Amino acid sequence: MAISCENVTRSFGDGLAVDGLTFDVPVGSVLALLGHNGAGKTTTIRLLNGVLKPDSGTCRVLGLDPVASGTAVRRRTGVVTEQAGLDDRLTARENLLITARLRAMPAKAARTSVDDLLERFDMASHGDQLCQGFSTGQRRRVALARALLHDPELLFLDEPTSGLDPAGTRAVMDLIERSARERGRTIVLCTHFLHEAGETSDLMAVMHRGRLLEFGRPDELAARRWPGLDVHLDLGGPVTSSLSADIGRLPIVVRVAEMPDGAVVTVHRRDDIPALVAHIVATGAAVYGTQSLPKGLEDVYFAVQAEAGLVAEAGLVAA
Amino acid sequence: MTATIDTRVGVLVGPAAASSAPEAQRAPTGTPKLDWTVIRSLIAKDASAARRSKAVVIPMLIVPFVLLVGLPTGIGLFARSSSPPDLSGVFEHLPSAMRAEFAAIAPNQRLIELVLGYLVAPLFLIVPMMISSALAADTFAGEKERRTLESLLHLPVEVRDLYVAKVLFAFIPTVAASWIGFTLFAISANAVAWPVMGRIFVPTWRWVGLIGFMAPAVAALGLGVMVRVSARARTTQEANQLGGAVIMPLILASVGQTTSLLMMEPYWIFIAGGVVWVLALVLIRGGMKRFTRDRVASRL
Repeated sequence: MAISCENVTRSFGDGLAVDGLTFDVPVGSVLALLGHNGAGKTTTIRLLNGVLKPDSGTCRVLGLDPVASGTAVRRRTGVVTEQAGLDDRLTARENLLITARLRAMPAKAARTSVDDLLERFDMASHGDQLCQGFSTGQRRRVALARALLHDPELLFLDEPTSGLDPAGTRAVMDLIERSARERGRTIVLCTHFLHEAGETSDLMAVMHRGRLLEFGRPDELAARRWPGLDVHLDLGGPVTSSLSADIGRLPIVVRVAEMPDGAVVTVHRRDDIPALVAHIVATGAAVYGTQSLPKGLEDVYFAVQAEAGLVAEAGLVAA
Repeated sequence: MTATIDTRVGVLVGPAAASSAPEAQRAPTGTPKLDWTVIRSLIAKDASAARRSKAVVIPMLIVPFVLLVGLPTGIGLFARSSSPPDLSGVFEHLPSAMRAEFAAIAPNQRLIELVLGYLVAPLFLIVPMMISSALAADTFAGEKERRTLESLLHLPVEVRDLYVAKVLFAFIPTVAASWIGFTLFAISANAVAWPVMGRIFVPTWRWVGLIGFMAPAVAALGLGVMVRVSARARTTQEANQLGGAVIMPLILASVGQTTSLLMMEPYWIFIAGGVVWVLALVLIRGGMKRFTRDRVASRL
């Protein structure tokens, strides 16, 4: 396991920031750590990276105890904090080089690595400019480059796409996905962008006020809540009541919902879709298209929020 | 942003290379030693940043120049041009050894000797305290304000090294400003007073003790207070406001006592300086013990 937490609790004053956190993250996984502001996501990252000590409970990160071996853990992890955390009075290159020196990287290797990363992050032409004038997106890119300087085994990303334009967001999410798939790097991703998280993450954790409301693979969590698979059928217009009733009687169908351009039919399995389409066509109706609508991270997130009575707050996040 | 970001970033320094050798060097065996490579790197970072900040550089240059060079030179010029005042009332309150010393010099030299040789002395303790306090206030509170402290805490750097780097970053330029300022003062004071004095009258051994030993001690004392305050405060302004309440009485005490120290036997400067050094080191060491990663991160 890259991360293994057992009943980790941490409070500040009278308030519990993290309450009995227990989960395991296998090596090479991408974990989406989700929740409203104040849910305890940033505190969790600080605990896992040995910046904060838990009041109780234990965790192992890359096989090490972050409390006893914090420096050793931090040597193998990279972090992009919620604020990019760049020194505005230094250039992008200086920000990276100072980090490389503090990470005890050899000077020549550090310089080469910095040049390489600035190039890869499309910041080479801005490398010798002070960070003071950088846009949010440029700051994010430099911060990401800094976190990757030493090729960490475990990457903590706290809102890495906050402030990025759509193209920048896409590029960073691609990086995260490839970083995990090709390099076998474990990634913990805190984000409010559920769609992007859903496309990238193997695991999801939903937190609220320090407590872990749900943890697991998004597809498995979805299957537990919504048996079957939704299929959107484009019938060129609303489904007729007779056809709807006919489809509903099929043993492969769980339910039918009418839509302006057809229907959304829930079947038991993906393999049931050809039979469903064949049946509709056999009745004489035209099927212009089908699209599977598997439930994923985003649906699970809002379902968990609703189950916990947090729908109003979840609505705020969605906005 | 283009979608060309590549993940091949570990070709030069892989995780194993980054974590094995340095780890072995820094493996905790009892109390780990200070890592001077890290400390030098942190000081270099702060120095590079400070050099580009007019808010830091201008006061660092102007305050010592005005107080340590401009003001004494102006006083010296005034004392040189005016007719010798009657200083008998002042000399009555001096220690007997000092009275004899002043009685032995020409009347027209007495005012210059008194002003430039003794009365400006407090400035040489006030200035280091001011500079060290200003720089120290910015150490941790400034990092918090710039939102850079958390990134530092996530690095494989011992917080003790971070603390020592911050203390030295404030201490070294303070002492440098103090010593350079005094050198310029000595040159300008002797130059201005030469037509009257006809000899080099500063520095004396008392001055050497004051500048070489006492001034750094006072700077360290200011640091000891302000670094602790800075670690607790959220902004530099807050650190200055909180620390000012402690620093101001120290400055006033310096003003009150420095001239007296110069008028006493030289060893008193070393005794007083020793006491201030002990106080400063106790404060700095105590601050280092309280400065833990967890404590700092809890206040982010």
